[in-house]
Amino acid sequence: MFQNRAEALALALPAALFAAAVFLVPVVILLSDGFRSSAGGWTISAYTDFFSNSLNQTVFLRTLKLGALVTVVSAVIGYAAAFAIVSLEPGAKGRMTGLVVLPLMISPVARTYAWIVILGRTGIVNQAFQALGITEVPLRILFSETAIFIGLLQLFLPLMIISLISALENMPKDAIPAARVLGANWFQVFWKVVLPLTKEGLVIGGTLVFTGCLTAYITPAILGGSKVLMLETLLYQQVSVSNNFVSASVIAFILIVMSFAANILLKRVATARNKMRSRP
Amino acid sequence: MKKVIFASGAVLMLATGAAQAQEKTLTISVYALAQDEYKQIIYDPFEKVCGCKLVVETGNSVERIAKMEANKANPVVDMAVVSMADALAASRAGLIDKVDTSKLSNFDKLYDIAKDPNKDGMSVGYTFYATSIAYRSDKMKIESWADLLKPEYASHIAWPNVTTNQGPPALYMLGQALGKDTPDLKAAIAAVGEKKDEIVTFYEKSSQLVQLMQQEEIWAAPIGRFTWAPFTKLGMPIAWATPKEGQTGGMNVMVVTKGSKNRDLALQFMDFWLSADVQTKVAEKMIDSPANKEVKLSEAAANNLTYGEETAKSLKLIPSAVALDNRAGWIKSWNEAVGQ
Amino acid sequence: MNARSLFIPITLVLVLGFLIGPFLIIVAASFSAGETLNFPPQGFSLRWIAKVFTVESFQASFAMSLFLAIGGTAAALVLGIPASYALSRYKLPGAEIVRTVVSAPIIVPGIIVGLALLRYIVVPFQVGITLALFVAHTALVLPYAVRVVSASLDNLRSDIEEAAVLLGSSRLGAFFRVVMPNIRGGIMSAFILGFVTSFNQVPVSLFLSGPGVRTLPVDMIAYMEIVFDPSVAALSSLLAFLSIGIVFAAERFLGFSRYV
Repeated sequence: MFQNRAEALALALPAALFAAAVFLVPVVILLSDGFRSSAGGWTISAYTDFFSNSLNQTVFLRTLKLGALVTVVSAVIGYAAAFAIVSLEPGAKGRMTGLVVLPLMISPVARTYAWIVILGRTGIVNQAFQALGITEVPLRILFSETAIFIGLLQLFLPLMIISLISALENMPKDAIPAARVLGANWFQVFWKVVLPLTKEGLVIGGTLVFTGCLTAYITPAILGGSKVLMLETLLYQQVSVSNNFVSASVIAFILIVMSFAANILLKRVATARNKMRSRP
Repeated sequence: MKKVIFASGAVLMLATGAAQAQEKTLTISVYALAQDEYKQIIYDPFEKVCGCKLVVETGNSVERIAKMEANKANPVVDMAVVSMADALAASRAGLIDKVDTSKLSNFDKLYDIAKDPNKDGMSVGYTFYATSIAYRSDKMKIESWADLLKPEYASHIAWPNVTTNQGPPALYMLGQALGKDTPDLKAAIAAVGEKKDEIVTFYEKSSQLVQLMQQEEIWAAPIGRFTWAPFTKLGMPIAWATPKEGQTGGMNVMVVTKGSKNRDLALQFMDFWLSADVQTKVAEKMIDSPANKEVKLSEAAANNLTYGEETAKSLKLIPSAVALDNRAGWIKSWNEAVGQ
Repeated sequence: MNARSLFIPITLVLVLGFLIGPFLIIVAASFSAGETLNFPPQGFSLRWIAKVFTVESFQASFAMSLFLAIGGTAAALVLGIPASYALSRYKLPGAEIVRTVVSAPIIVPGIIVGLALLRYIVVPFQVGITLALFVAHTALVLPYAVRVVSASLDNLRSDIEEAAVLLGSSRLGAFFRVVMPNIRGGIMSAFILGFVTSFNQVPVSLFLSGPGVRTLPVDMIAYMEIVFDPSVAALSSLLAFLSIGIVFAAERFLGFSRYV
């Protein structure tokens, strides 16, 4: 550790000031717009107006619901996938991790676009369902919450898997065999041993996935459209169609609060489990 | 690493410097439609004629007006083409100036309805189009605008969102079909709202419809005639409906930005675009119907476009002022009835 | 036992199928002979791949995206490397605040960043769109640069540069001669991660477009709004192979995944 404060500040300040000037300040001004009254004072009337509108309520709840659902489902699938990958031999593990990361390198525009073909009434999902006799009439999946859910899950699942892979790898190698020897079943092993030991990875992955869902614009725009609005698409509509910057500022604030709240909540959940475990 | 930064900084300066060094630059704002053809027929030849550089911004009408509003103090674009109603909106917001038609040599050759569509001297029409229904003739029969909402059809149609250029006209015709054509479009919006779960999507971009039609996701949708040509290439039995209530439509107009530093160049460009030669070429590519009455079209182009003054007069258009005064109300009732 | 040995391959096939399947469909559609995006593709042709190279706006927006991704990431590294060094080697007053400020761009939705920049920087100060995009992309990449470089600094024992300083080297000299060579892999990894992030970025750039200035992904969306043919699929495939090639090479020569 070097002690020279002046030197430390000289090194760190350019980055911090840059981020503050081009990023924090404009965003904070934008957010403050939502609390300005036309008389020049401060008010929360824009927020009460926003939430008294039933369309906005629906969109808000839908965003919350889809974000939570994608996070939970990606955690469940993520654990299974991460377990499978970690148990491979080193060479195969590297290649599999590479394949999981691969979609992150592809433009979200292209990835979302593919779902229009896959989920359509004559798309391969419906063809498979009809061939298997699951449904007779083709299902309508496009332009629904289901379509957005699938699109978001595919977009953000890799983030969850790689967070959980590194968490599982950092776990003591003998933790699982030890628990098995002591007579725990697989469910108990997961709940009492794996989950507590990998909670940090879960918190990181969960935050990335949930925040991702709140910031994704393309997926809800293409797979939901104006029929299934989310907060991101509503914000864009407010700005570019209705020219309503106050409402846009309100939505922006809600989105930011939601990301922070999710992060704090996930950390809370993780530490709460920890305390329970350490009780005698 | 530092070299990279200096290099990119230099590139940046060069880029901005080059833009300023250019003597004459005309910035135009147009619909994103058919840019490759426009470039070939309008932009490149015009750059040769004027010895200037054209910078093109594209987007839909409402979005681009919103941008002009944001840049009001220091206008970026010199001229724009927008919908009739948006031209009136821009004029009320003080974003545009009167068009000096004495500088347009082709002005007298325009159809009368295109000369001053909003009767305020602020815009000149360059094309108009019919809006009706493109539909799968093997799957359904469309004789009235209200047929689209029939129970057996509703789950196979896309309807234009109220915020698009096609939305209000389609609702206006639906209102006529329902026998309740008030300017607030309440009855039509309520009728669409009742079917909102069945209707496949409320589209914002008409290009998507070709894909959806091809995938059989939809069988029918109200569209503007200018997007008709791609449907004919799908190799499917798709027809253009002539509902008993008639066809609606719209007109696109040219406006000059208030405070533009290139007023004369903008007018020169507009005149070029309105010439019989350019209008014919654009029409033969089946993009924009001509507003210049000296244009003579081939049969193929005439059949695919909205051609002729008689046709233009027969279209049931919503007056711009009605559209503008009611727009906020339409969006509000739409959001209440359909949006959720 | 048997159930467990089946679990691994089944899980992997299902998950990877879900993650990569759509991409394969896009690739297949790029070679379709049909007029719209289709699966299975109607016939085989290279016409859509060829068309990508004839769309003029793609060339301009590709150059713009390349400039932003290279220039923005380089700028973020020039700001981020010293900051990471300060965070990992010094007792920095307000270290947590600095960390939060530089990583804030990751948490705030991009669409808000773009809107805020447009409203409060571009319009009032008459900043050009290109410069605004450059600044926005730099800010966007900064958190990744700081995170990855910090991680590789933390993995490097700090006593070697302390030893160099004790032996009479200046702090700056110690940094360039001792630290830099050892974190080169981390810097390259940060560069690649930043490049890919910036190149694929949409929401920030959505509002930041002006006459003739657009990033490639935004241009692709704009193009799709007009024409819904497979050329966007073809372009996406080409770009994806480009990204994969870069990452593969990086992994091969630098061990990229150690740092991410």
